[in-house]
Amino acid sequence: MTNGLKATNLILAYRMSAGIHTVLNLEELIVPAGSVVGITGPSGSGKTSLLHVLGGLERPQYGSVCWGGDDLCRLTETERDRWRRERVGMIFQDFHLLPGMTALQNVLVPATFDRFVLSGQVKDRARALLTHVGVPGGLQRVETLSRGEMQRVAVARALLFAPSIVLADEPTASLDGASSERVTMLLLDSCREARTTVVVVSHDSAVLRRLDAVHTLVGGRLTTTAQDTVSRC
Amino acid sequence: MLNPLPVVVADIRRSRTGFLAVVGLIAVAVALGVSVSAQERALRTGSARAADAFDLLVGAPGSPTQLVLTSVYLQPAALPLVPGAVLKRLQQESGAVYVAPIAFGDRYRDYPVVGSTAAFVTLGGTRKPAEGRIFASEREVVVGADVRLALGARFAPSHGVVAPKAEPEDKASDHDHHDVEYVVVGRMPRSGTPWDRAIVAPVEAVWEVHGLSNGHPEGAERIGPPWDGPEVAGVPAIVVKPKTVADAYKLRGKYRTEGTTALFPAEVLVDLYSLLGDARDLLAAISVATQALVIAAVLLAVFASLALRRQQLAILRALGASRRYVFAVVWTHVSLMITLGSVLGLVAGWAGAAVLSAVFSARTGIALSATLARQELLMAAAVIAIGMLLAGIPSWSSYRQSVSAGLRS
Repeated sequence: MTNGLKATNLILAYRMSAGIHTVLNLEELIVPAGSVVGITGPSGSGKTSLLHVLGGLERPQYGSVCWGGDDLCRLTETERDRWRRERVGMIFQDFHLLPGMTALQNVLVPATFDRFVLSGQVKDRARALLTHVGVPGGLQRVETLSRGEMQRVAVARALLFAPSIVLADEPTASLDGASSERVTMLLLDSCREARTTVVVVSHDSAVLRRLDAVHTLVGGRLTTTAQDTVSRC
Repeated sequence: MLNPLPVVVADIRRSRTGFLAVVGLIAVAVALGVSVSAQERALRTGSARAADAFDLLVGAPGSPTQLVLTSVYLQPAALPLVPGAVLKRLQQESGAVYVAPIAFGDRYRDYPVVGSTAAFVTLGGTRKPAEGRIFASEREVVVGADVRLALGARFAPSHGVVAPKAEPEDKASDHDHHDVEYVVVGRMPRSGTPWDRAIVAPVEAVWEVHGLSNGHPEGAERIGPPWDGPEVAGVPAIVVKPKTVADAYKLRGKYRTEGTTALFPAEVLVDLYSLLGDARDLLAAISVATQALVIAAVLLAVFASLALRRQQLAILRALGASRRYVFAVVWTHVSLMITLGSVLGLVAGWAGAAVLSAVFSARTGIALSATLARQELLMAAAVIAIGMLLAGIPSWSSYRQSVSAGLRS
């Protein structure tokens, strides 16, 4: 498979007024292709930074991030944008839908990044995804949706181009129990079915216990691989 | 090929009030410049057209500007008289198609009653009355298109060029009432000049009403040239239609003497236009400064709003948008505001100039038509071009923004 991750010797540091602050310092992180792994850890431990590095949104000072054959650290910014557009689906804690648009338009936004006129095919795909996540039609403005619905629209957006990698940052942290459950199931089931590699940053035990493996990050270092014995569903 | 429009449209929809405010601000700044420029041109062409019938003016020495203002634009003023002998001499000139005295001094209501000749009214026979005919005797008059007197109406003129404001018209006319009665026999077509509000009588009638000789030999009651009587009264101005351009210059030279002045109204207008041009330049400078200020304010507002939009743009990047896409979103947004504002400003400026022209026409009788010419289109195009260019600055700053930092903001 080409969508497995191997990140080695990552160092990410910021220059602050008080000196250099090391955010990430990890020797190796391996995520097998098609597996679903979690990253957890106390706040400020560098979880989101790690996710940004894995998604090519931030370039570490040192190390390599290889997804399949592509080393993100060797790509130019333009190449990383293209890689992300073609391979990655992103999900955020606060959904980050674009207000002023309908649910359908939101799902279709990534399709406007490299073409002017959208094909009927991509629109059909977006509608099918919206039906799948339980927001059929998708013609209502996203501001009018419930939080659970918003996150489900965000999931549909992430899956538009059937990405081989999904990166999710606390996808359930701002949802109540029932919505959280539904979003988790939806995301994990869809990804497992498509053999998508998933990295989820989360504190939510309801999420974590459904994953193939969970890594704990403390102070920018991976301490344990706690749950790698959890059986695949 | 990327398409930033869905994101731009959603942004505009979300911040409609701000968007409209910025568009309105730009529109006002552009409208200011456009209306100044269009109005000045309308004033220039309108006033020049009004002087078309006055090729060469001969008057007594004095202010050339006043001579033009009074005879071409009918601005009331007491002009010094040029002696009748000059008129007598002028009508002998072979270089003149017609020579027409213009005698002011009377009015009826608000309309000046001016003494002249049939040749002057018909521009030497080239202009036909719209209704009726030209005067054929001393008691007949023709009226301009805007004079509210019907054909066949009779009226008595009164002395003085301005109707007394404080008194009602009917009472006021009791004082200086002349003891004659005119009858309206014709109406001239609209000329778009102050003469549309004038009543033209044979010059002989005006002379006689003021107790002067009619310029013809004793007992002769005809009207029109030649005036070859023993006594020819003085007049404030004489209009000469020269045969050729060479004749025009020859006559102008010949009648620039100690006792007379001769001028082309165009010369005087050129001086006035240069004053007008100075005023226009000043206003244009002010409007350009306003436009620059507004564009600067718009860019500042865009920069301020970028701080709020940092996260949104970072999200687009995280979803796979290229830096070019983010650049295009910001640039399209700003350019759209500036283009829309400029186009609206062009229309509003033209409308503003049209209103100003209408007000000015109503006051002076000089028909002005405000039009948009290359100059105004260029001005709007320049604002759009400069705006689009400067829109690159905030767009570039978005292009370079760090995605990771933006997501956390």
